[in-house]
Amino acid sequence: MSGGPAVRVSIESSCEKQVQEVALDGTETYVPPLTMSQNLAKLAQRIDFSQGSDSEEEGTEGEPRDREWGKQEQEEEEGTVKFQPSLWPWDSVRNNLRSALTEMCVLYDVLSVVKEKKYMALDPVSQDPTAGKSPQVFQLISKKKSLATAAQVLLKGAEKLSKSVAENLENRRQRDFNSELLRLRSQWKLRKVGDKILGDLSYRSAGSLFPHHGTFEVIKNTDIDLDKKIPEDYCPLDVHIPSDLEGSAYIKVSIQKQSPDIGDIGTVSLFRRPPKTKAGTQPWHAKLEAAQNVLLCKEIFAQLSREAVQIKSQIPHIVVKNQIISQPFPGLQLSISLCHSTGDKKNQRTTPEKASPDDHLYVLEHNLHQMMREFHKQQLSSVVMPHPASAPFGHKRLRLAGPLAYNKAEISNLQQSEGLLEKIIKQAKHIFLRSRTARTIDSLASRIEDPQIQAHWSNINDVYESSVKVLITSQGYEQICKSIQLQLNIGVEQIRVVHRDGRVITLSHQEQELQDFLLSQMSQHQVHAVQQLAKVMGWHVLSFSNHVGLGPVESVGNASAVTVASANGEYAISVRNGPESGCRVLVQFSRSQTKELPKSDVIQDGKWSHLRGAYKEVSWSRMEGRNFVYKMELLMAALTPGP
Amino acid sequence: MEAPPVTVMPVTGGTINMMEYLLQGSVLDQALESLLHRLRGLCDNMEPETFTDHELVYLLKGQQGNPFILRARRSLSHPTAPWHLRYLGQPEVGDKSRHALVRNCVDVAASHSLPEFLNEMGFRMDHEFVANGHIFRKGAMKIVVSKLSRILVPGNTENTERLSLSYLVELSVLAPAGQDTVSEDMRNFAEQLKPLVQLEKIDPSKQRH
Repeated sequence: MSGGPAVRVSIESSCEKQVQEVALDGTETYVPPLTMSQNLAKLAQRIDFSQGSDSEEEGTEGEPRDREWGKQEQEEEEGTVKFQPSLWPWDSVRNNLRSALTEMCVLYDVLSVVKEKKYMALDPVSQDPTAGKSPQVFQLISKKKSLATAAQVLLKGAEKLSKSVAENLENRRQRDFNSELLRLRSQWKLRKVGDKILGDLSYRSAGSLFPHHGTFEVIKNTDIDLDKKIPEDYCPLDVHIPSDLEGSAYIKVSIQKQSPDIGDIGTVSLFRRPPKTKAGTQPWHAKLEAAQNVLLCKEIFAQLSREAVQIKSQIPHIVVKNQIISQPFPGLQLSISLCHSTGDKKNQRTTPEKASPDDHLYVLEHNLHQMMREFHKQQLSSVVMPHPASAPFGHKRLRLAGPLAYNKAEISNLQQSEGLLEKIIKQAKHIFLRSRTARTIDSLASRIEDPQIQAHWSNINDVYESSVKVLITSQGYEQICKSIQLQLNIGVEQIRVVHRDGRVITLSHQEQELQDFLLSQMSQHQVHAVQQLAKVMGWHVLSFSNHVGLGPVESVGNASAVTVASANGEYAISVRNGPESGCRVLVQFSRSQTKELPKSDVIQDGKWSHLRGAYKEVSWSRMEGRNFVYKMELLMAALTPGP
Repeated sequence: MEAPPVTVMPVTGGTINMMEYLLQGSVLDQALESLLHRLRGLCDNMEPETFTDHELVYLLKGQQGNPFILRARRSLSHPTAPWHLRYLGQPEVGDKSRHALVRNCVDVAASHSLPEFLNEMGFRMDHEFVANGHIFRKGAMKIVVSKLSRILVPGNTENTERLSLSYLVELSVLAPAGQDTVSEDMRNFAEQLKPLVQLEKIDPSKQRH
C-alpha cells in the first residue's frame, strides 16, 4: 500500500445491517446490530446439545441425523447460516460440556447405587502395598471377617426360619385347642364367664336337685416346653374339676349276716379300681365322666342318708360317715356305703385285706343308679304343661286339688311317697328272700334223694317279685306221679305258695317255715305216688288221707296214709308216711293165707276166707328197689297172683 | 229382678299379688315351622306340647265404670282338666323403660260348673273363641304360639273359622310385682327370636276402636 499513489480510497462498509423495513419515503430502518452478548447468546443457541457426539450416535440415530440434514438443507435454501456439525462455533466448548455432563451423570448413578445399597455394596479393597507388608495376618483377619459376616447372615436366616416354624406350631396348637373345645362343646355344657370357660357336669338339667354346683373349668394347656418331647397323651385342652369330685367313686351295697363290731361301722374299705380308659377318647372326657359319676354317687348317698334320717322304722337306720346300715330282717344287715377314693395312696395301703371279699350286690347298686335317674326324670316331668294353656305353671296336684275338693289322703296319693331308701330296702329284702329260698330248696334237694325236688326259676323277674316252680317227683315215675306242683311267689316279706289245686299258703320270711312245708309236701308226695301207682297197677284205693288223725304226732305237718287193695281183694297194703317219722308199710293178708289164725267154729264157710286177716309190717329198708315208688311197685307185683 | 250393686274394685290375688309380664307378637302361618324350630332349641328340654283351648269371656256390667271382665278357659284336648278362671287388670302405666307390659293377674283353677256359676253371679258371656297351638317353657317364661278361631255356632267348638292367617305369639311370666329383672329376661329372650317374630309390648286398651 505504501508503494501506491496516495489515493485515498474511502471504503464504506457495506450495509451489513439487515433492513427491517423500508418506509414510504425511502428511509430504511435497520435491525439494530446485535450486541456482543446477544451475539453470544445467538451463537450459543445454535449449539445442539441434544445431539450426541459422533461416535455414540452414528449407528443408533442415523435416521434422526438424516432428518437433521434435511433440515439443514432447508435452512440452506432459506439462505440462513449453515453449520457443519464439526464446524459449529464453540464446538470444543460444546464437546467439553457434554462430556462433563456425561461424567456427572455417571457419578450420580454411581453415588445413587452406592447410597441405595439395594443392588451393590462397596467394600474397601485392600491395597496392594499394605497386603504386601503383612499379608498373612490381614488375609486371615479379612477371611475371618468375611466368614463372620457370612455366618451372621446364615444365623439370622436360621433364626427367622425357626421362629416361623414355632409360630406355625403355636398356630396349630391353637387350632387344636379350638377343635378340642368344639368337641368338648358338643358333649358338655359350656359357658363363658369373664375370661374363663366354665362347664357344667351336674345332672341339674336332667332334673337333679342336688345342690352341688358341679362346675369345671376348661384350661388351655398350650404352654408346653417346645424343646422337650411332647408326651403321647398330650392334649391342648385340659379340664379342672372341683377337688371333691376328683378320683373315682361307687356305691357299695352288701348284705351281711352278723352285725359287725360297732367300731367297724363307717370305715368301709376303699379299694381303687384302676381307671379304665377307652382308646380313642380324650383324657378330658374320661376325667369329666369320672367326676360326673362321683357326683351322681354323692347325690345318691346324700338322698339315701336324708331318707334314712327322716323315715321312721322299727329298727332305726344308722348313718355313720359314709355308710348307711339298715336291718331288713332280724339278724340281717343291709349296708350301703359310698366309696370315694380321691387318689391318695393312704386308704389304699391301709386296707388291702378288705378288698378281697367281694360281697357286692351289683344288681342293687345298678338299681340305685337307675332309680336316681328315674327320680331325676320325675322331677323334670313333674312340672307338666298346664292345660288350658293360660293356666300358670305348677304341680298338677295343686291345680286339681281345689276344683276337685281333694282331701288330704287323695292329695298325698298323688305324691310320690316312696323314697329311694325304702325302695332299695325292699329290693334287698326280696333279693335276700329269693336267694335264701333257692338255698333252702337246693339243700333239701341235695339232702333228700327220694323223692326228688326240681326247681324251675323264672328268668324274668320283677324287682319285688319272682317266682319258682317246685316239682316233687320220684325218679323213673315222673309221668305217673305228678301230684305235687308248687308255685312259689317270692315277694318282699313273704312267700306265697300256690298249689296245683289252687290252694294258697302264705309263708313268712323264716327259712324254717319253707323247709317244713316242703318236707311235709314231700311226705305227702309218697302217699300220692302210691295212690297213683295203685291205679296203674289195677289196685283199688280203699282209703286215702292227707292228714291222719291217728298215730304218733308229727312235729312237722301231719302224716298221710293210704290203703290200697289188690285187684282180687286178697291183699291190702297200708302206707303211712310222716315227714318226721318216715314211712311204715303194712300188708294185710287174706284170712285164708294166714296160717296162724285159729280156725274158728263160727265162720266155717269158705266165703269167709276172703275176709282180711292180720297186718304185717314190711321191713321197708330191706326191700329191694332204688326208691320208694319202685319198692312199692315190686311189692304190689309180688302180691298180685300170677296169671 | 234387679242386679245386685256391683262395685268394681281392683282385684288382688290372695296373699301374693301376682303380675303378668307380657310381650306379644305374631307370625304368618308360613313362618310357623321355623319359629317352632327355634323355640324348641331355645326352650327347656321338654316334649313339645300342643293344646286346644276354648275361652269364654264374661262381662259383669256395674252401674259405673268399666265392665268387669273375667276369662274362663277350658282345655278341649284334656277334657278332665279343671277350668281356668282368670282376671286380668289394666296394664300398668309407669316405667316407660320397662320392656314388657305389666298387668295384674289372678289365676284360679275351677271346676266344670264354672259357666253356670258365673251366669248365676250375673256375668254375661261377651264372646268366645278357640285357641289351638303350641306351648313352650323356659324357666318361668311361658311361650304360647296359638291360632285363634272364631266360633260360628255359639257353644259348638267343632265348628270354627280361623280369624287370620297368622299365629299369635305370647311370651309371659307370672311374677310378684316389682320384679323388673323379669322383663329384662323377657327382652333378652325376645331378642333371640328377633328375625322370626317381633315381640313387643302391646297395650290392648289403645287397640280399641
